[in-house]
Amino acid sequence: MTLSVDPITVSVVQHRLTAIVAEMGEAMLRTSYSQILNSSRDFSTGICDVQCRLVAQAEHIPIHVGALSYAAESVSGYFGDTVKPGDVYLLNDPYFGGSHLPDVTAFVPVFAGEKVVFWTINRAHHSDIGGATHGAYNPTATTIFQEGLRIPPLKLYDQGEVRQDLLDMIATNTRHPRDFKGDLAAQIGSVRGGERRVLALIEEFGAETVMASIETILDSAEQQARAVITAWPNGVYKGEAVLDDDGHGEIDVTIRATVTKSGSDLTIDLTESDPQSKGFLNSSYANMRSAVAMAIAYLIDPETPKNHGSLRPITVKAKRGTIVYSEDGAPVTMCTSHCSNEICEAIIVALSEACPERAMGGWGRRFRVAIQGENPESGRSFIWHMFHARPGAGGSSGGDGWHNAGEWHSAGGLKFGSVELAEARFPLHFRKHEFRPNSAGDGEYRGGNGVELELVMETETPSVVNTAGDGNRHGSRGMVGGEDSKPHHYELHRADGSVRELQTKEILIPVAPGDTFVIHSAGGGGWGNPTKRTAEARALDALNQITTSVDGA
Amino acid sequence: MIRIGIDVGGTFTDIVAVAEDGTVTFAKATSTPQDPSIGVMDAVNRLAEEMAVDVPALLAQTERVVHGTTVATNALLERKGAKVGLLTTEGHRDVLEMREGLKDERYNMRLAAPDALVPRHLRLGVAERMRAEGVVHAPLDLTSLDAAIDTLKAAEVTSVAVCYLHSYKNSTHEKATRTRLEERMPGVSISLSSEVFPEIKEYERVSTTVVNAYVRPIVGRYLHKLGERLKDTGYDGPVLIILSHGGVAPIDEAVRLAAATVLSGPAGGVAGARHGAALIGAENLVPFDMGGTSTDISMIVDGEPALSTTRGIAGQRIALQSLDIASIASGGGSIASVDSGGILRVGPESAGAMPGPACYGNGGTEVAVTDASVVLGFLNPANFLGGRATLDQAAAEAALDRLAGRLSVERAEAAEGVHRVINTHMAEGIRLVSVRRGVDPRRFALLSFGGAAGIHITDIARQLEVRRVVVPRTAAVLSAWGMLATDLRYEVSRTHVGDTGSLEAEEVRTIYAEMEQEGRRRLADAFDGPVTVRHSADMRYGEQIYEIDVPLDGIDFARTDLMAEVATRFHARHEELFTYSLPDQDAVLVNARLATIGEFAELAARALSRRAGRGCLPGQSADLSWRLAGGAGLQP
Repeated sequence: MTLSVDPITVSVVQHRLTAIVAEMGEAMLRTSYSQILNSSRDFSTGICDVQCRLVAQAEHIPIHVGALSYAAESVSGYFGDTVKPGDVYLLNDPYFGGSHLPDVTAFVPVFAGEKVVFWTINRAHHSDIGGATHGAYNPTATTIFQEGLRIPPLKLYDQGEVRQDLLDMIATNTRHPRDFKGDLAAQIGSVRGGERRVLALIEEFGAETVMASIETILDSAEQQARAVITAWPNGVYKGEAVLDDDGHGEIDVTIRATVTKSGSDLTIDLTESDPQSKGFLNSSYANMRSAVAMAIAYLIDPETPKNHGSLRPITVKAKRGTIVYSEDGAPVTMCTSHCSNEICEAIIVALSEACPERAMGGWGRRFRVAIQGENPESGRSFIWHMFHARPGAGGSSGGDGWHNAGEWHSAGGLKFGSVELAEARFPLHFRKHEFRPNSAGDGEYRGGNGVELELVMETETPSVVNTAGDGNRHGSRGMVGGEDSKPHHYELHRADGSVRELQTKEILIPVAPGDTFVIHSAGGGGWGNPTKRTAEARALDALNQITTSVDGA
Repeated sequence: MIRIGIDVGGTFTDIVAVAEDGTVTFAKATSTPQDPSIGVMDAVNRLAEEMAVDVPALLAQTERVVHGTTVATNALLERKGAKVGLLTTEGHRDVLEMREGLKDERYNMRLAAPDALVPRHLRLGVAERMRAEGVVHAPLDLTSLDAAIDTLKAAEVTSVAVCYLHSYKNSTHEKATRTRLEERMPGVSISLSSEVFPEIKEYERVSTTVVNAYVRPIVGRYLHKLGERLKDTGYDGPVLIILSHGGVAPIDEAVRLAAATVLSGPAGGVAGARHGAALIGAENLVPFDMGGTSTDISMIVDGEPALSTTRGIAGQRIALQSLDIASIASGGGSIASVDSGGILRVGPESAGAMPGPACYGNGGTEVAVTDASVVLGFLNPANFLGGRATLDQAAAEAALDRLAGRLSVERAEAAEGVHRVINTHMAEGIRLVSVRRGVDPRRFALLSFGGAAGIHITDIARQLEVRRVVVPRTAAVLSAWGMLATDLRYEVSRTHVGDTGSLEAEEVRTIYAEMEQEGRRRLADAFDGPVTVRHSADMRYGEQIYEIDVPLDGIDFARTDLMAEVATRFHARHEELFTYSLPDQDAVLVNARLATIGEFAELAARALSRRAGRGCLPGQSADLSWRLAGGAGLQP
């Protein structure tokens, strides 16, 4: 390593960049309009350099890690030399470096003199992006055109001037143009704030010093990642993860990872994965790369910066036309959770043999429910997205999994809203929202429990429900000898006494006033052989009714 | 008459007396963590000695004692609070441990889950249910309540928290539960959520109530004992406790709302900063208190400390209004290391008190920030802590040499590097706090507290483009003095959810009027002077989740278009904080807030009349022949 900048300046530059992306995130959190952004924090902020290498990224939703490079490449490739200070670019197309259509990415170029040196980037999940169903999650979609508006790389601001016609065109194609504009304004505020801070950094240290520091920062992260990987035994490791179904009759869609570890390099081969699906489980290329990055980020040291450098040891092989890398035009909306989570899981299963102490039991799968109905109090229509009843986290060598901490792709980063506030604002009654005993996978360290939710419809007119997700048949994966968790089980108890089981990929299920959702979410997977679990731990679980002798207690 | 301020820290108990003419006397005693009231009484004795009077004579001419305590804070940090049982609405006993689905340290998937303050087997559901509009959905079932109480009795809990859904709107079930608890568990400490924190959002309310139940017995024992000791010694005036929101309250109120004392310690510092701001005419100030392991950052905007309801401590959420004090894990004891990628890191590990920095000579070999300060000549090894201790310069140099070797730089360069990195940490911490408050730090002055802060403040100011720095000669005095200048304060709130477009102005008027009555009534118990009332509201746009605090002072509540005016205030505040507003959207009111403030007569400001701390010895000046890169404004 040749140091062209002193290590202290490098350290200061690194801290500064980390603080800038955190500040961009803070601004976003405080200014975004939609619940999905300000409550569920489904956005990310980052900085790429002119080569589109990820330099710094804030810790928000793990599935966004590493994804921004591909989007930056797409924008910088498309606009090339025409980029000017004051421009703002947008993109959401999964086949142009995006992940799925609701994730809209905003970019601002940062100039040093005449040249672009950085991009400040904000990716945020919008509550709606048009398409056949509200919120883009459309299990019946068989092409991307049923999922919403595609935005290839596009210039939204030209040297500081908004292209109002374009903005209006995009907003008009969403169901809630005002919300869309509000959230987009927050994104643009965030990237512009980032631009100001990066410019100040360049002013203080000079562009050359900053750029040289970044080489060292990336090299350093690479070294840290390699130092971890080197310690694992060389070999070829295989892992699989299985999705319930594609929503179009195909079951057990399988992702296969073959990981070759040699020295400090990892080659991750996903080419044996099943062919692409008819439905929305497919992954775009960029999203697949993110899922791989997420798996590796979970296995290396948590404090190692998540940037281009720490991902350098990894080579990825994937085949176009498979579920992890679909052909242009295939539907992909579910991909940021599924099949991302299974890509991650297959890799961690494979490497759990190489580094059992670092592997963790499987985290839950997403199973979302969106209710669309009419509020009898106001007479207005409402849409309510369920973020409650989160599944459990996996156990690990560090201890038992967290209860209701969520899915692989969000890892405890999604907040569910207040029950009281939901009851005050929606015709919903939460009869029960408590841990679901016995739902976690057993192990030396068990998973965390899922949740039991009983939700009563206090509407006076019929409503409809859409679902999207996976995990009714497969629970969260046990690891290193730990057991799988129980899978999800969602039911609709009709006011007339009948019971209907909810599948993970359905639309327009009619729901009558007085109907009750009885939702049991999966726990997390266990880690290590259950026979090694201590008697004290088991006694404590029994005392706390984390486990019970009778199910459903 | 004199006023006495007492600040109990981890090591020392500081005491200050201010006489009517502004004369200040201060003394110090060793803190006694087992029973801090012993240290307090020692300090009172020292103070009397210092003033050359006996204790009864001193206390006889004392009109007020103001006290900052860390008893609640320490109970939480060390997990030494009461054994608590929690009664909740049946079907909702896990709200506390669910933590809204959030987990710390996003990429640390092997992080063990923390234990909840109340374990699951002591969180018991009771059959009862209120609706959001305050109507009974299911009556309180006494059989179910008795069964839960049986379990709590068998487990010998000493404190019970009660938090039922929607009790902020209708508290009858919680009150009936208290009556039953008093009958069946006489003497048990009881905290009702409808009294501790009567606001919507069950996680905030249950967590705050549980914290209250957890610290209340220990805070009560301590404060009552202190009150008795002072009384036994001849004092019969009020003992006021400084609360997390920076105001003071009598002992009984501080015990009732014990969760509001968790920031009592640092609140003294902020009160001091506020007082200092008034003295030097700096309306906007960032006080930062740099300790050994962490640095506390707060803000004074337009002369008033910034408040927040989103704070927590030791992983526990406490949603009561409190001073917006952000803590970052950087301090004088932060350890410098070189990571496996060759980059210099400082913190978050700390050398602590033992072994401490290498220069303490207790066998520490790693470089702490203080070691770098010694090598750079900022600290005089012969005159540490005002001459009470000496530092081992050779040990500091040896540690720095090892670090320099790993970085392939010279010793001084490594030391300078440690400073640059820690200063960057702190500057970024201050910046983040100000971004959250929607303010630009450049128009603030920096005020440093803590032994080490003065060394770092100018470089941090340079990074933040702050023009003015303030380093008080004796921060401890400023702190206790500030406490004495603090007013009595009661915070009252009511949840009243609705769009400003459809809310009835008359209802809102009535709510504020009721809150004002309650605040004035509470104040009247301890105070008969002039009262100020502050109105504000927590508001947001439709589906936003975070409310913002909207000041409503200056609005005539009698005006017919009251709600429109409230909405206008909200849009303006949103714009101020977040650069935009959406005037065509409905503003939602969530909580109405009101503070009643009893203002004490101002203290006379006067220079210290007695000893001040010892700084650089006369005739000495540090050798600052090196310079900070970028040209900090420091003069040797």
